Amino acid sequence: MWSFDVVANSVASGVLLGGMLALTALGLSISLGVMRLVNLAHGEFLVAGAYLAYYLLQVTGIDPILGLPLVGLALAALAWPLQQWLIAPLSNKGMEAPMMTMFGVSIILQNLYLLMFTADTRAIDTPYAARALHVGPVTVSAIYLIGFAISCVLLVSVHLLVSRTSFGRELRASSADPVAAAAMGVDVKRVHGLTFALGAACAAMGGVLMGTAFSFTPTTGATYLLISFAVVVLGGVGNIFGTLVAGISLGLLQSLAAMVLGDGYRDLVGLVIFLLALALRPQGIVAAKVR
Amino acid sequence: MSAIVSRAPVPAVPTASPSAQRLWPWATLPVLFIVLAASVPLLSDYGLEIAFRLLLLITLAEAWNLLAGYGGLVSLGTASFFGLGAYTLTKLLSDPSDSIILAMLAGGVVAALMALLVSRAVFRLRGLYFTVGTLALAEALRLFMVNYRGLGGASGLFLAVDPPAQREMVWLALGLLAFATLVVTLATATRFSILLRAVRDDEDAANQIGIRPFRIKLIAFLLASTLTGMAGALQALKVGTVEPYGTFGIQWTVAVLSVVIIGGQGLRLGPAVGAVFLVALSELLAEYPALQLALTGAILIGVIRLAPLGLVGLVQRLLARKKGGTR
Repeated sequence: MWSFDVVANSVASGVLLGGMLALTALGLSISLGVMRLVNLAHGEFLVAGAYLAYYLLQVTGIDPILGLPLVGLALAALAWPLQQWLIAPLSNKGMEAPMMTMFGVSIILQNLYLLMFTADTRAIDTPYAARALHVGPVTVSAIYLIGFAISCVLLVSVHLLVSRTSFGRELRASSADPVAAAAMGVDVKRVHGLTFALGAACAAMGGVLMGTAFSFTPTTGATYLLISFAVVVLGGVGNIFGTLVAGISLGLLQSLAAMVLGDGYRDLVGLVIFLLALALRPQGIVAAKVR
Repeated sequence: MSAIVSRAPVPAVPTASPSAQRLWPWATLPVLFIVLAASVPLLSDYGLEIAFRLLLLITLAEAWNLLAGYGGLVSLGTASFFGLGAYTLTKLLSDPSDSIILAMLAGGVVAALMALLVSRAVFRLRGLYFTVGTLALAEALRLFMVNYRGLGGASGLFLAVDPPAQREMVWLALGLLAFATLVVTLATATRFSILLRAVRDDEDAANQIGIRPFRIKLIAFLLASTLTGMAGALQALKVGTVEPYGTFGIQWTVAVLSVVIIGGQGLRLGPAVGAVFLVALSELLAEYPALQLALTGAILIGVIRLAPLGLVGLVQRLLARKKGGTR
């Protein structure tokens, strides 16, 4: 069987990785919660963040972690017009039209990456990516711990933004009842645009962390989209605390599965858990308790 | 949950009486298939290649149209059922004397069994969860095939027998399309289509009047999966090999849904028109596959926004306007 060290390492890296998964899922969760939009291009936004940080490091030498706000802002600035031009005009056409539009965006982006960056596997190369940290009997990669800390900070920031600011109030109002919110003077279109931009920024920053901890290709996005979706369903739509709990649970399960079955099964196990969750408990594992 | 676009019932053809409308496929389709069959011996090698791709794509699109156009169930899992059919045929055909037809049917059955297995997961929540659930299924199956050694792992399997000649492949594809057309015509020209559209337009209301939405959706899902699995089996027979990235790849899903959305969702002629459009596009840009896919994505976005009923819907609207119709 496995030694205590191996299990302890696996648990620790699973929990830390789970925190990062929560950040990647956050963007998907808020667009789904506020705009009822299934952003099928979410994975491509994530990969966009990874490429941006990769080239930022190559060209200007800016460290990807320090460049994180820059990447987030850049993606938010790109996502805003996308929402205004493509998604907003479809607001009265049900849920499928915007969803399939984002699927079209995802196909376009994936193939643009292929044309621009080739199909090569890349990883953002930093001195701390491979460094090992020893805490008692546990050894984890430094980037996991950094990624986990950054993810928690960002999750808490978004939570404060949604629960404590006037923008957050408008966002919650638009989510609960867009018509009533508009009648009370909320510019719902602007709120949706900002929400979408915020979601894209979260995805991109998650992508930077993932691209530093792991490798990525133009087509990596699909897997991240689905794993993010698994986290959203497990944690409950629009529930930030639930997202964190679900991310950590999924990261832990995936890490243990990779230990038992082999590393190739990591994502497969995530997807199977997702399908099981849909069949058995689609309302999420934490939603009922918190709300 | 509605289809991507209109909730309004769209007449299959602008004929006068409803009974004529219900009878027209039975009169025109056999004639059409006889004409198609008669033209197969005349085709050149290039013609056969294109004909096979068109027939396969229309078959897949018919199945997808039944689900999404008539049932409002937008699936991103085409590749899962396609791939299962392909692997089943490749595994079953081990001797030249084995029946190809039976192996294709087995491919369809395996695909349908998988649909049955996941139906609880994908139908539990409505609408968009079906879309994401089917996408997860396709990705999960691909990852499984990559990692599972028993079915060739990442390098896949080779067909043990020689594939039939190209002309024979076109006959098989034509036969499969005839079967798919029969199934979809039966499903859309009978009471079942009314039940299916009732569930699509308002699941709660349908439930209230005694329809069981789960059962209706499941039947449509099983029919579509069977047809998709058979089409996958046929493609595997043609190529002679299956491997996870090509067989379970998202490109099949993208191709099929683009064909239906560009052609016209929930319209009888949509799949055929969309398939001709997409095959023409892929021939034009054969040397730039990435560019072709990116362009397909852009066209998809444009069609959803500007012509929600696709090219067929656009033509119907123009014709109606020309006649001075009151629509």
